[in-house]
Amino acid sequence: MNAIASIRDVITRNMRQSGILVAFVVIVAIFALLNPMFLSPTNLTNIVLQYTYILILAIGMVMVIVAGQIDLSVGSVVALTGAVSAVVVIKMGMPWWMGVLAALVVGLLVGAWQGFWVAYVGIPGFIVTLAGMLLFRGLTYVVLDNVSLSPFGGTYYGIANGFVNGLLGGYGVDTFTLVIFAIAVVGFGVSQWRTRQGKIAYQQTVESLPLFVVKLVVLAAVVMWFAYQLASSRGLPVVLIILAALTIVYALVTQKSVFGRHVYAIGGNQHAAELSGVKVKKINFWVFVNMGLLASVAGIVYSSRVNGAQPAAGNMFELDAIAACFIGGASTSGGVGRVGGALIGGLIMAVMSNGMQLMGVPTSVQPIVKGLVLLLAVAFDIYNRRRAAALR
Amino acid sequence: MTPRTPLLALRQVSKYFGAVEALVDVDLDVHAHEVVALVGDNGAGKSTLAKVVSGVLSPDSGLVEIEGEQVTIGSPSAANRLGVASVFQDLAVAENLDVTANVFLGQELRSRIGLLHDGEMETETRKLLDHLTVRIPSVRTPLRHLSAGQRQAVAIARTLIGSPRIVVLDEPTAALSVAQTAEVLTHIERLRDLGLGVILISHNLNDVRAVSDRIEVLRHGRNNGSFPASAAHEEILAAITGAS
Repeated sequence: MNAIASIRDVITRNMRQSGILVAFVVIVAIFALLNPMFLSPTNLTNIVLQYTYILILAIGMVMVIVAGQIDLSVGSVVALTGAVSAVVVIKMGMPWWMGVLAALVVGLLVGAWQGFWVAYVGIPGFIVTLAGMLLFRGLTYVVLDNVSLSPFGGTYYGIANGFVNGLLGGYGVDTFTLVIFAIAVVGFGVSQWRTRQGKIAYQQTVESLPLFVVKLVVLAAVVMWFAYQLASSRGLPVVLIILAALTIVYALVTQKSVFGRHVYAIGGNQHAAELSGVKVKKINFWVFVNMGLLASVAGIVYSSRVNGAQPAAGNMFELDAIAACFIGGASTSGGVGRVGGALIGGLIMAVMSNGMQLMGVPTSVQPIVKGLVLLLAVAFDIYNRRRAAALR
Repeated sequence: MTPRTPLLALRQVSKYFGAVEALVDVDLDVHAHEVVALVGDNGAGKSTLAKVVSGVLSPDSGLVEIEGEQVTIGSPSAANRLGVASVFQDLAVAENLDVTANVFLGQELRSRIGLLHDGEMETETRKLLDHLTVRIPSVRTPLRHLSAGQRQAVAIARTLIGSPRIVVLDEPTAALSVAQTAEVLTHIERLRDLGLGVILISHNLNDVRAVSDRIEVLRHGRNNGSFPASAAHEEILAAITGAS
């Protein structure tokens, strides 16, 4: 197979995944051309700090969507968990980790509550979480007694605003950041190589070796450039470490665990899954518990980022998270979607928000653009599926 | 000479849905190395019987024996443990998952650290498909990219996980083309060659006569005759419709 045919093959075979990656690159390129500040070290650092909570929510949301459900309550849960944490840390004067712990516990309880109604009572997730959206928003007002609480300060503030910097020294460029990213890139390369070797061992088609190497080198170059920008600004953001850890854990859970496999099975054909002995209720329950937990992590990160808790925090976050999943290739009918796709979808939302703000696009226009992008992404998905059906 | 103990025996099994008599005192024997066909008109109770054997429904009265021992089949997973595997009429596969994932769904192999053992499962799946002489290009193909016949083959292959003794096939050829049907019928013959007892439910007398060793007719939920596969078409038809 010559190189061009090989490239074309890779693109058509992974249209759903790579299409979104291409879109991401194009959007970044457009903003970079329109505004030279966009790719500056400071602004890249800002993007990471500002939008991590959407990415964290998207990781949980993609599992909910794959299972064939939806969660409309995550914005309210972000507000509630942040509020609880603020009460514990600011009002009661307890240490920062007590606030974190309290928020996580509340997130788990919220998840268990919604999971119970969805899985064991059989009410659609749409209704349960619509009720939850109102319920937890109201509870946030109760917990905060209708007023904002601030500031957290100290270590808690550092969760979303802190950096790991200067551990290994460096002259204006943080060595530690570069080392961590280099390790990640090498690790990713090795795992890709092993996957490729495994596929060859099973006599499956793989892209040609030069193409494989070029792909990895381009990716490594982009990632290391990004690392260099971070390193020359303020170092490695703490939230980026949290996000990376969550990404690795959830990529494993969704692709390599029995639980993840069953989530996909339920989304694909719930009836078949049930007949095959998949414990559908249990899986649905834990999918919502997991969403509650991740919403509380997002709540902690967000409250730390804004250094306080407001009753109206987290408004519309659910829509950003859901949009991230669908832009990232999740299917509206369930069973299809990946953590990686949702993260890229979230990054597209983040980059668009940040880019438009940077360029001073009026706030009235920003949601219009985002809405159109969501619509196009899902239209593209449906077009792809029709074409796949026609090919059969 | 003592009669061979059947692999599966139903004795006087009845099932009612309210006032509707779905099954009334039905008897059925299935031996190893045997394909028993269940035929009958719509609503004759074929699918109900299949669901009783596969644990989806529990009978209101009567006995179910597996290798001479009385058993209660309370759920599909209980049926699996007893060695009964089923392919249901509405093609119980997940189209978004690949062949391997479908074959092992609900019975995944785990590595020592509890993660999915994909390599092992793929090898096993390829072996199973070879046993059944199923031709599928790659075991990593998602099922939505396969033809209806290939999907049915995957559904049949998944019954072989956990070495079952009895396989229930509810209308496995209903939605298939002629060529695909022929292929599925050879898979069914392979199941018999592997030493399993097969219950084949079908509308299609031609299919049934092609593969089965014995044909049992149900009519209005009751046994209405047992025929060798060589029996005349008209004879079986008469038992199905009740014309005598």
